[in-house]
Amino acid sequence: MQLLQLLVFPGLTFFVWIAFAFEWLERKTAARMQGRVGPMIAGPFGLLQPVADFLKLASKEQIIPKHSEKFVLTWGPPLYFAAPAIGIIFIPVIGNESIIGHPLDLLFVLFVLAFSTLMASLLGYSAAGRYSTIAVGRLVVQYTSYEIPLILSVISPAILAGNLSLGGIVSAQSNYWFILSAPIGFAVFIIASLAELEKPPFDIPSAKTEIVGGWMTDFSGNALAYVKLTKNLSYVFLSALAVTLFLGGPNGPVLFHQIILQYVMNTIYFMVKLFSVGFLIFVVKTALARIRIDQAAELFWTILTPLSLAQLGLVILLR
Amino acid sequence: MTLKDWARKKSIWVFDVNAASCNGCDIEILDAFTPRYDVERIGVVLVPSPRHADVLLVTGTVNAMMKDRLKTIYEQMSEPKYVVAVGACALGGGVYKGCYNVGHGVDKVIPVNLYIPGCPPRPEAIIFGILKLVTGEPPDPKEEE
Ligand code: SF4
Repeated sequence: MQLLQLLVFPGLTFFVWIAFAFEWLERKTAARMQGRVGPMIAGPFGLLQPVADFLKLASKEQIIPKHSEKFVLTWGPPLYFAAPAIGIIFIPVIGNESIIGHPLDLLFVLFVLAFSTLMASLLGYSAAGRYSTIAVGRLVVQYTSYEIPLILSVISPAILAGNLSLGGIVSAQSNYWFILSAPIGFAVFIIASLAELEKPPFDIPSAKTEIVGGWMTDFSGNALAYVKLTKNLSYVFLSALAVTLFLGGPNGPVLFHQIILQYVMNTIYFMVKLFSVGFLIFVVKTALARIRIDQAAELFWTILTPLSLAQLGLVILLR
Repeated sequence: MTLKDWARKKSIWVFDVNAASCNGCDIEILDAFTPRYDVERIGVVLVPSPRHADVLLVTGTVNAMMKDRLKTIYEQMSEPKYVVAVGACALGGGVYKGCYNVGHGVDKVIPVNLYIPGCPPRPEAIIFGILKLVTGEPPDPKEEE
């Protein structure tokens, strides 16, 4: 039963489909904001466009460049996919507890975030192309700048709940959401998520106009399919983390006595919040232009780190 | 129609190479991505690297300097791959035909699947060509040889 939950609902399969839906929403939002219509013909309203992209890439030939590290390029993409795929099953969806809750799972989730960036830089370096090497350098600089504000902003809800497990943080939010007492933390988290996802204004490691495809330049076929899916899954993972930490997770305004109805309503509340956070990220991402790497480092070190520290102090006072 | 064929028809990623063109054709290709035509409707995306692409759009006459580079780009693409020659220059030299310093068409260098004539072709023509390429089973020059 637990295995079925892990693999199907609310586990991996469920979140992979949400990842496809997220890409569809991202492309549609960008298109509508630019006065276009976006994907239209693959499925109703183009809903199956990301699925078509994935299947097409997976069915293509995979070219491994001559000077690259073949072992890493073959086995790296599935491992890269595993990072958010393992992290996401710790997110509570249908109730206050996730499928495999653990008293310290917040730490594990943070480790997963760091591991995903490590995998990305490893993959970029093993491809050994010129553009991917530049991109990895930028990725690492960006990582060192956004990681500290990200972790500081995650600590605030943990302190408010007095708990290091995601389930505990969700239960502590049954009366009020932590975004009310940690609004700056939420803002910093969203900005740092943009940097983690390499989206504008922090798409410096994958800047199309400067370094071709970033660290993904030399990927093709199956590897590219995995990498793209992983990026979408990370999108869902970070939005789900924001919902869990700041927006009350699956908690909703109405409580039901019937347990099945409660599960269904919790899932609906969670999805509504998840897609709202996703939509917020898409709008910000489409509206902004890219900044330089030194500007990004400056922004994170001189503005966002002190802000998240101030938030932390405020939260400790509030508690 | 298998799932694979369906996916290949709905998702076409193109990479655009300017092989010594006057830039007119490239502007028309980019026109197809603007709000008025928006080829993302039919699943066409402009990708940054030839390794990601399914369709190579080549414009210009392919002169001696671009010849080897075009071949390298073609070899970097993964199968199944298609080449579309866009504009009169890419078809056979266009207005520069007979000049000593230009090439005479893309098909002298790499196999071409589809030709879109015009100087420059209208974005409608380019969209028609791409649609024809994925839905109308274009002739495969590699098999004919
Ligand atoms: S076909 Fe015409 S517009 Fe296109 S590159 Fe040649 S001269 Fe320029």
